[in-house]
Amino acid sequence: MPEFTRQVLTLVVVTVVAAGLLAGANMITAPVIAERQAEDYRSALEEYFPDMAEFKTEVLDEGSFDLVYNAGGELLGVMASASVQGYDGPISYNLAVDKEGAILGLRIVEHTETQGVGDVIEKPEFQNQFLGKNCLDPLQIGEDVDTVSGATISTSAMINSMRQLLSVVAENLLLLETEEPLDIAAVPDGAYRGSGEGYFGEIGVEVTVDSGKVTAIEIVEHHEKPTYLVEAVASISPQIIDGQTLEVDTKTGATESSIGIVDAVKDALTKALNAEDVESGEDDG
Amino acid sequence: MKAVKMMDNLYLNDFTRGIFKENPTFRLVLGMCPTLAITVLVKNGLGMGLAVVAVLACSNVVISSLRRFIPEQVRIPCYIVIIATFVTIIEMVLQAFIPALYDALGVFVPLIVVNCIILGRAEAFAGKQPVLRSLCDGIGSGLGFTLGLLLLSLVREIFGNGTLLAETNYAIQLFGPNFEPMRIFAQPAGAFIVLGLLLALTNIIFKRFQID
Amino acid sequence: MEKLISILFIYILVDNFVLQRFFGICPFLGVSRKMETAMGMGMAVVFVITLSTLVTWLIHYYILVPLGLEFLQLVTFILVIAGLVQLVEIFLRKASPTLYQGLGIYLPLITTNCAVLAVALLAVRQEFTLLESVVFGIAASLGFWMALVIMSGIRERLELTKVPGPLQGTAITLITAGILSLAFMGFRGMLTF
Repeated sequence: MPEFTRQVLTLVVVTVVAAGLLAGANMITAPVIAERQAEDYRSALEEYFPDMAEFKTEVLDEGSFDLVYNAGGELLGVMASASVQGYDGPISYNLAVDKEGAILGLRIVEHTETQGVGDVIEKPEFQNQFLGKNCLDPLQIGEDVDTVSGATISTSAMINSMRQLLSVVAENLLLLETEEPLDIAAVPDGAYRGSGEGYFGEIGVEVTVDSGKVTAIEIVEHHEKPTYLVEAVASISPQIIDGQTLEVDTKTGATESSIGIVDAVKDALTKALNAEDVESGEDDG
Repeated sequence: MKAVKMMDNLYLNDFTRGIFKENPTFRLVLGMCPTLAITVLVKNGLGMGLAVVAVLACSNVVISSLRRFIPEQVRIPCYIVIIATFVTIIEMVLQAFIPALYDALGVFVPLIVVNCIILGRAEAFAGKQPVLRSLCDGIGSGLGFTLGLLLLSLVREIFGNGTLLAETNYAIQLFGPNFEPMRIFAQPAGAFIVLGLLLALTNIIFKRFQID
Repeated sequence: MEKLISILFIYILVDNFVLQRFFGICPFLGVSRKMETAMGMGMAVVFVITLSTLVTWLIHYYILVPLGLEFLQLVTFILVIAGLVQLVEIFLRKASPTLYQGLGIYLPLITTNCAVLAVALLAVRQEFTLLESVVFGIAASLGFWMALVIMSGIRERLELTKVPGPLQGTAITLITAGILSLAFMGFRGMLTF
């Protein structure tokens, strides 16, 4: 029995001493680590906003936001901190945005992505494509920004998260308009086709415009369940035609299909307007 | 005079044994997980190797000096606690003072605990031998491990990345701009194959010089 | 649910713990000589990893974090794993001697299998929930088992072939593992969502 007591006692003593040592080491290094992280963040802030004098922190659901001011109390921009689930655990990052809503820089704070694969999010080949991108830009994969092949999950998670973060910064903190409202009155008469993404795939529409007004919306292609489509059309087309606006309430019984229809109409009218621009451009030249 | 010389030889022998004759990587094939995983760049290989040297030296000294007090039956849990303590301290120190290396090595820093070299040296040597000899043995085995990491990471970095000492102040671009790095060397598959070939190479060398 | 399935898929095939992430290489090289031992070791590892991930997750979130003792994480985890392996061994010997005969000799080796500690640490680092952690543990250990069994199948045949002198032993095993790893890289291509 004394032998057994001695064994247990030794183990307990060793463990307690070890725990004490670790507590000591933790007390010494923890402030250094915290200090270093704060220092890194501070120097990143100064790099993006050289005229920075002070910043105010605001915390929203999407992350924490530091509004940066110069000595005159003028808003210079926002440094947003957020976190997103990557391929291998959370990626936390900062996004620096100037007061016009353009991206100044992306900074990865911490990640656990695989070396040589997902850690491309830290490298210029991924990050540089965002510099100067504005809150009016779509930031859509395959459109104006791209994922890195081999690291699709990490990079697409980053892009989607940054798009949301940027629009929160622009709308809630910088109070910018993120989308120029479409001027329906400027669309020339005619019938235009466009498409949007529904629940089960593409929805194609044909929009008829007569003397600056949308007069008819016809579905020409869809893969939705018919009952949902009928519900979506019944809710969306009167809203657009009566209100002559695309700012409609899509919270119907068939939200996905409704959003698809609105996007398709928007697409058709945007194309019509752009075609107009090209023609008039040619006239000028 | 002669006695002193013998003593020197004893310590020297403890020191060099781990580097050449019982090299953990090439002769004993121990500690393979970090060896394969983090040797993408020389910087990481060196960092991991030196971290292991530090842990191995400390744990060997402590285990050796406590060898008379630790009862036989509970020695393994005691060793594990001692090793885990030093590994945690190293982890904190890296995070505080060399954060770039800490980020690069990731979860393999805490995993030094289960590196078989450390428990192996504690069990085979430090638990039985005096303190100073255990220290020599610890540093020697650690440096032998570092040597293995260094060789593997050299090959993998030169071919897989086209650089030498990348991500340090002494980075050298080895090839011209048209060089396309052979990514396979940086991939997991490359690690296995390069290490296999290096093992074969050391087998040839050891056989040629009949070191065994 | 979708996330659980993707964890299962990723850690068995795409990020196989042995062939892509290099956890548990020592037992992978050590006990993959015979199919029979590979099966036994694999089963023991699945059992221990699943159990230890569950226990360490609970300890981390219900003891270490509330008490602010995260710096004891490593010491606690490794002690828990070592203790758990002992308990499993004692329990098996009493409760099921037949199972003990199959698994018993592999159990002590598992304490220093870094895959066990790696799963426990990564589950906490990647901020998995309890259920996700357990699924992660199952997936990682099944991946380990699969790699072990495939490797032992190859090595049993390798025994019968003529391997050049210097390559004999671990060298050829490593190169074989490299080629296996190359094949497993193909699964990464399936991740394009």
